[in-house]
Amino acid sequence: MSPMSITAELREVAGARGLAWMLASREVRVRYKHTVLGIGWALALPVALMLVFTFLFTRVAKVDAGGLPYPVFVFLGLVPWQLHANILSGAARCLTDQRNLVTKVYFAREALPLSVVLSALVDFAVAMTVLAALMAWYGIAPGPGLALVPVVLAVQLALATGLALVLSAANLLYRDVQYVLQVGLQVWMFASSVVYPIPRTGNLKWLAWLNPMTPILDAWRTCITGAHFGLAPEFGLAALISVVVLVAGWRWFRRMERVFGELA
Amino acid sequence: MTAAAEFISVSKRFSRRAKVRTLAGLAGQWLRGPKRGPDGLLPHEFMALQDVSFAVQPGESLGIVGPNGSGKSTILKLLFRILRPDRGQVVTKGRVGGLIELGAGFHPYLSGRENVSINGAILGMSRADIRRQYEAIVEFSGLAEFMDMPVKDYSSGMYARLAFAIAAHANPDVLLVDEVLAVGDAGFQLKCYDWMARMRTSGRAVITVSHDMYAMAASTRCLFIKSGQVKAHGDARQVIEAYLTDLSRDRHDPVLETNFIKTADGVPRAEIKSVELLDGLGRPVTSIGHGANLMLRFHYHAAEQVHSPIFALTLFHDDPRYPLNLPRHYLFHVFSGPAFADQTLKGSGTVEVLVEDVRLPVGCYRAKTYLFERDGVSPIFVQDGVARLEVDRPDWSDGRPLLEHRQRWTITSHVST
Repeated sequence: MSPMSITAELREVAGARGLAWMLASREVRVRYKHTVLGIGWALALPVALMLVFTFLFTRVAKVDAGGLPYPVFVFLGLVPWQLHANILSGAARCLTDQRNLVTKVYFAREALPLSVVLSALVDFAVAMTVLAALMAWYGIAPGPGLALVPVVLAVQLALATGLALVLSAANLLYRDVQYVLQVGLQVWMFASSVVYPIPRTGNLKWLAWLNPMTPILDAWRTCITGAHFGLAPEFGLAALISVVVLVAGWRWFRRMERVFGELA
Repeated sequence: MTAAAEFISVSKRFSRRAKVRTLAGLAGQWLRGPKRGPDGLLPHEFMALQDVSFAVQPGESLGIVGPNGSGKSTILKLLFRILRPDRGQVVTKGRVGGLIELGAGFHPYLSGRENVSINGAILGMSRADIRRQYEAIVEFSGLAEFMDMPVKDYSSGMYARLAFAIAAHANPDVLLVDEVLAVGDAGFQLKCYDWMARMRTSGRAVITVSHDMYAMAASTRCLFIKSGQVKAHGDARQVIEAYLTDLSRDRHDPVLETNFIKTADGVPRAEIKSVELLDGLGRPVTSIGHGANLMLRFHYHAAEQVHSPIFALTLFHDDPRYPLNLPRHYLFHVFSGPAFADQTLKGSGTVEVLVEDVRLPVGCYRAKTYLFERDGVSPIFVQDGVARLEVDRPDWSDGRPLLEHRQRWTITSHVST
């Protein structure tokens, strides 16, 4: 097999998108099969966390939610964060859990991490319906920024997909990755503006610049509610980081892919 | 004409060690440092394939034969791009697919219909392909009324039939088949062979790995591989012959089991020292043809008196090349019954039995001898692995194998002590 050109590789990945959809729909169908609530379970975790953090940060301690009602603020942090966390933890296991596929059949391996991204998006879309109800309850009308939501989603998915590719391959090399990731995700969540805003001034301002998740989460809030969070240059840097992570992650995945059949 | 699949001096290295790594294990490896031998291999590595070359043209079929662990499946995995060569080149043209893993990606909780879509996509079919072929797949599988049932409730035969039907419609240009035809009933297997023949005549390249030499003999060409190296390549019958010769050279004849009743001195009360295999004319043989006469000569020694002795011999079919799928693997049984009811043995001698028109399935057999006294319920002497017999390819037109054979017993010599 002579080495493929990048365009040939891209064509192969594009050819596998049908398979990624198929695997994602299998995953979603199996996940909620034989449950009474079915896909309603996608709401359970974000709603429960929203209630917990609302109690914590309105009764126990106060945070400045930038003028938004805290439940709306935190829900717009938790749901995109859950999407991110679900993609990463699902991706870390996707190759190792499907070793019978990886060692027996050939297809563009990207289909497996991509299917994790797609199936996480289904849960995300379901959870976002609660947001509409929540905003109606508080009388918040979405602003014109709503049109930019696809851009925010694309940047977040680029980052998550790049990391998903790296994590899926890395976990084949070292099964430690899936455990390190669980710790890392917890730390990362509290280092991002998920349940409280990250200050743009003072000692912690570098957290807002270096961690692309903070500008991304703030961009969700800005675009959907019209409230003002964060600044365009931070989001621009986050977008740049995301694209670099996606490209570098994919190239590394391709390099490692040669030995998947032996590692899985 | 360009080959549909080609190996150019392909080598592949494998490690005997577990491939799953942990950071702790890695640290140890760094500390010790790798020590490569003169062949460039780490101590736990070995060559799974060494300098293997072959080419298969469209419309040809290649059969790969060789003992277990010789590298046959590695070749298929390299063709399928699951593994990549360490040296050399693997070139394939068009879509590579086949019957390596039937039902890859089947999910037990999903219906047959849903699994057709998923498995089809895994095998490289587009959604449009799947939609277009769906009816044909269902028709081929013969499972029309079960398509809405979760596959976990399928019988294993139904599961295999659905999986095969999907693979058969994935329409690959290079078709790989790895022993999967061992599953399913005879009708299903015939359907598989039919389909493979059709694929070949329609210009696909077919590459098969099997221990079924009948199936392999139908290939255009064969490749005999042993310990990762090509031993023979060319005309199917010649290569299979070379493989079978090599197999029988490697066989050894251990005595598997001996049991006997002892005298006060600790020696057997009586024993069958050996068994000679002779043809109908009394000449020693190691293999017989279909319908031949077989003479078995037992050499016995009785240290103590044995009243009304009964001699018996069983041939166990013991040949991995020709799996028989029988509940018990003995097929041939001679039993002297009441022939020597009025005899008493003491000392040495021979007993012969002539069996006429022996018709046994092809393959190697292992002989086990028994000596009973009077009642014949539990033997006073048993020995397994005392001799081997090879039965040559039968002429099926001549009739089916017999499980009961006509036998004539005589005591041919006896020296009392």
